[in-house]
Formats: sequence, C-alpha cells, structure tokens
Amino acid sequence: MSRPDWVVLLLTLTGIILYGVSRNRSSRNLEGYFLGNREMPWYVVLLSIMGTQASAVTFLSAPGQAFTDGMRFVQYYFGLPLAMIVLCVTFVPIFHKLKLFTAYEFLEQRFDRKTRIFTSLIFLVSRGLSTGISVYAPSIILSSLLGWNIYLTNIVMGGLLIIYTVTGGARAVAYTQRLQLFIIFTGMLIVGYTAVALLPPGIGFTDALRISGKMGRLNVITTGFNGNGFDWTDRYNLFSGAIGGLFLALSYFGTDQSQVQRYLTAGSIRESRIGLLMNGIVKVPMQFLILLIGALIFAYYQFNPAPLFFNQVPVEQVRQTAFRDSIGRLEQRHLLLQEKKRTVAASLPAAMNANAYDRSKKIVDELRSLQGEEEGIRNEVKGVIRTSGVKSEASDTNYVFLRFVMDHLPAGLVGLLIAVIFLAAWGSIAAALNSMASSSMVDLHKTFFSGASDDEQEYRISRRYTLFWGIFCVAVAELVTGMGSLIEAVNVLGSWFYGVMLGIFLVAFYVKRVGGHAVFRAAILGELLVILLYWKTGLAWLWLNVIGALAVVVMAYLFQLVQDRRGKSGDDPLG
Amino acid sequence: MSVMEQDDKPPLFRSWGIWYLIVAGFLLLQVLLYAFFTKHFS
Repeated sequence: MSRPDWVVLLLTLTGIILYGVSRNRSSRNLEGYFLGNREMPWYVVLLSIMGTQASAVTFLSAPGQAFTDGMRFVQYYFGLPLAMIVLCVTFVPIFHKLKLFTAYEFLEQRFDRKTRIFTSLIFLVSRGLSTGISVYAPSIILSSLLGWNIYLTNIVMGGLLIIYTVTGGARAVAYTQRLQLFIIFTGMLIVGYTAVALLPPGIGFTDALRISGKMGRLNVITTGFNGNGFDWTDRYNLFSGAIGGLFLALSYFGTDQSQVQRYLTAGSIRESRIGLLMNGIVKVPMQFLILLIGALIFAYYQFNPAPLFFNQVPVEQVRQTAFRDSIGRLEQRHLLLQEKKRTVAASLPAAMNANAYDRSKKIVDELRSLQGEEEGIRNEVKGVIRTSGVKSEASDTNYVFLRFVMDHLPAGLVGLLIAVIFLAAWGSIAAALNSMASSSMVDLHKTFFSGASDDEQEYRISRRYTLFWGIFCVAVAELVTGMGSLIEAVNVLGSWFYGVMLGIFLVAFYVKRVGGHAVFRAAILGELLVILLYWKTGLAWLWLNVIGALAVVVMAYLFQLVQDRRGKSGDDPLG
Repeated sequence: MSVMEQDDKPPLFRSWGIWYLIVAGFLLLQVLLYAFFTKHFS
C-alpha cells in the first residue's frame, strides 16, 4: 500500500473510534448501556440492523461469489422480507411489551429457567465462536494480500472496536454503524463505477451486463431443478432461498440477541417495526448491487488480463520452489488465452447490436469455451500449489474483489476500501460483543449472582463482560489461525444452532399447551439431530435451519402429549 | 385510543397490514424483475 493509502486507512479507523467514544452519553445503568435508554429512532435501528448483519465477509466474498458462480447468491436473502413481517406481527410486540433486555428472558417467563439458560448458552457459545471466526476470516485475506502479520491483523480487526464498544455500549455501536455504512456504500459505489469506467472505449455498462449475462454471471433466479428433479444439495436457488432463507432470517433476527438487541433499542414498537420492515425492503436490492459489482468485475476481466490466481502470494511462493517451471508454463498459456479472450469479447457487443444472432451465438460459444479453458488452467494452478507443499486456500474467490481494488484503484482509494473491510467487520463484531455482554449479564450473572447491586455496579460489570467477550473473540481468531479460510464455517456453525433456537421460540409463541420440560428435551434432541444430519448427509446448510426448527416443534408437541397422558394416569415421568 | 395503541400507529396507512402487503409485494415484484433480468441477459 502507498503512503496516501495508509493515511486514509489510519484516519478512517481512528475517526470511527473517536466518534464511537464520543457517543458515550447513555445512562450508567443496564438500560442505558445495553439498550441506549430505548430511545433510538427507526432509521438508526435500520442501519444498526444492517450494519450488524453485513460483516466484512459480505463485502469481500459476495462480489467474488458473483464472479465465479454468478449472482444467484442473492436468492439466499429472499426469505428475509417475509421474516421481517413475521417478526413484526409476533416477536416485536411481545418483546417490547415485556420490556425485555434479552430474547431469552422471555423463555423463562413462558417456560422455565433451564430453557432460558440453555438457549442463552447456545447463543453465547455459537456467537462467541462465530464472531472469533468473523475476526479471522477477513484478517487472513488482508494479511495474505498485503503481507501483514496475521496475528497483528486479528488484533486490529477484533481489538480496536472494543474501545468504543466497552465505553459506549449499544448507543456507540448503533451510531458508529450508521457512519460505517455510509463509508462502506461510498467505497462499494466507487469500485462499481471503476469496473465500468475501465472498460475499453465503446463498451458500456449494458455491454458489460450482456457479456456477464451470456457467460452465466447474471443468473439471479435459479429453480434448483435439474434432469433428476430438485437438487437438495444445491445451496442457492429460489426455493432454498425463500424457505430455508425464511427460517434462517427468523432465527437470526428473532432469536439471536445480536439482532434482537438492535430493535429493542427502538423508542417504541412502531420504531422497531418500521426499522425491520425497511430492512425487508432494502436488504435484497442492496445485496443485488453488491453482487452486481462482482458481475461487472467479471465483465472487466473479459477485456483485460486477469491474474493467473487472484491470491498471488501462494503463486509467488511456488516460484521459489522446484515447481517454478510448472507455474511459468501455466502463466504462458494463461497469457495467450487472455489475449484471445479479449479479442473475442471485443467483437460481441457489435454483433449483438447488429442483431446478428448466429454470429453472437458463435462468439458466446467461443467465449464460454475460453472461459472453460481458463478455469482449467486455474485448477491446474491449484494443483501445482498443492503439490508444491505451499500452504494456501484452495479457492481464490474471496480475493477477487480486493485484487481488483489493489490493481485498479488510485492511491488513497485503496486505503479507503481496506478501511471499508475493517469497518464492516467492526460493525458486526461490536454488535456481537454488546449482545454477548447483555446475555451474560442479564441471563446468567443476574440469575446466578442475585446479591444486591446498584445500577452503577451493574453498569461496571457489564463493561467487563463486553471486554471479556472482546478478548475471547480475538483469542478464538488467533487460535483458528492456520486453519485456512473459514468463511463457510460461520454459516455452517450458525445453522447448527439457529434452527433449534427458532424451534424453541416458535413453540413459545404458537404452541401454548407445550411446557418447559417438553421443549427442553425436544431442543436437546433437535440439536443432536441437526449435527447428525450435517455429518451424515450432504444436505445444504440452509435446510438445517428448517429441519432443526420443525424437529423441535414436533418433538416438543409429542413430548407434551406423552407427559399429559402420563400425568392423567398419575405418573410424572418428565418432572 | 390507549397510549400503547398511539405508540404503535403505523406511518402513512391505517394499519400495519398494508405495510406487510407492501413488503411482501415488493419482494414478489423483485423476484419477477430478477427473473426477467436473468432471462433477458442470458
């Protein structure tokens, strides 16, 4: 990175920390620290919800996903608007009327203490681990691209935000997320504009879309059906997105304290509802635009030489080994291919504009064949990297976006885009720390240490819990360093637990006759079932949420039936 | 009207149901537009 990049990066990060610390004007009690005195307007709630959900991985990985697999990933979000409606109808009014601090408090009121503690512990374990991985996942990419020390990058990625999260609580988290999102969207717009502006003369935005579309990168809607019927292992299609995505979004926004706490900071039910519904309106288009940037970068690389491998560090390392000739040969083939691809791609817009169908089809076929060859070369590169013994991720998908940024953005803007990655990470990690501290304090500490304590004491203890979880997450990031890319692991880890947590809440809201013992047993069995299914089948992880939730609802109902019948016959088997 | 009901009055429309329809309808519209987009550029 150049000096202007360093200046922009350091100024942006320092500015955010100072801004976060300056927003420390909440009352020194639990309501002030964890819920910002319940006075946030809907637009702050909305931006906080968005900032919590959109992590660094969202901005690093999604454009690369569109580059390699097309835009169909957007379907993953189709269940989200529907989930927002369900939340507004059921969850929000109850959570607000009961004046809850955490979602799990409700479970004690509805069932019993053990169900509340169990769910809170599931949340703390899964959120703690996945936040640790969320610190590490962008750090490994940045450290690899920029040659930074990974352990130090982990500390900057997960450590600096602790300063304003500990001091300012939920209020600082919400207001910094607002500023962070503004910087993030500005950065993303600049990258999208650059991808189009750098196209050859005469090739415009529509031409870029046409080429990406013909090459299968604008496949926004897919059904998941192939010659053999519905493909249950296909991760992203209309049905897995709408159904699996609905359950995932319900679990995430309805039962994960990191999100529940965002809309509990609202001044009223009305402000919560508007914030959530606006999220339902803007989230899918936002994700569409982020993916579109990946499709535009793909179009750019049809006219300009693409790197042999977007993660260049392992390639450079292979050059220092006995396999350097193999890489050299692949590089030669790749260069020739790039030149050929550029010539063929340049002829496509003219053919399409002239409505020369046969000629266009021939050009598209040729481009697809060249693309196939390029992917073949990239696979050979992966093979050489593996054989040479160089440690590296198998895929370079997550490096596409930042490689483009580093190669094509002017000095200063590269620093801004690196800052964007840090800010995106900070927004979601800060909300996670704040929520884990609230659950630790309200669900566990106040339950097990019920001695008298005043507001000031509780406030101080809460700050210590925030600090503890911050250190815990950075420690997890340092411990998983060396395990390769763990981007998928965050989603998989979440899907192990989210379905079961949602099942518990669905029973609480909709199956009135089921009590604490039945739902507790169903939750434990449901958890075992989900993990078993994950290990024994290749089921796409989105479906695990659906199965986990439904399993808990059905089993809890059956356990309750058995309990009621035995109760009538005088036994108390579940007592 | 109670304080709680006043506190929960939806903006622009008389009931939240209309807002829910708007959100669901906008999703449906997007799916249709994206399907058209996919077909048009494939």
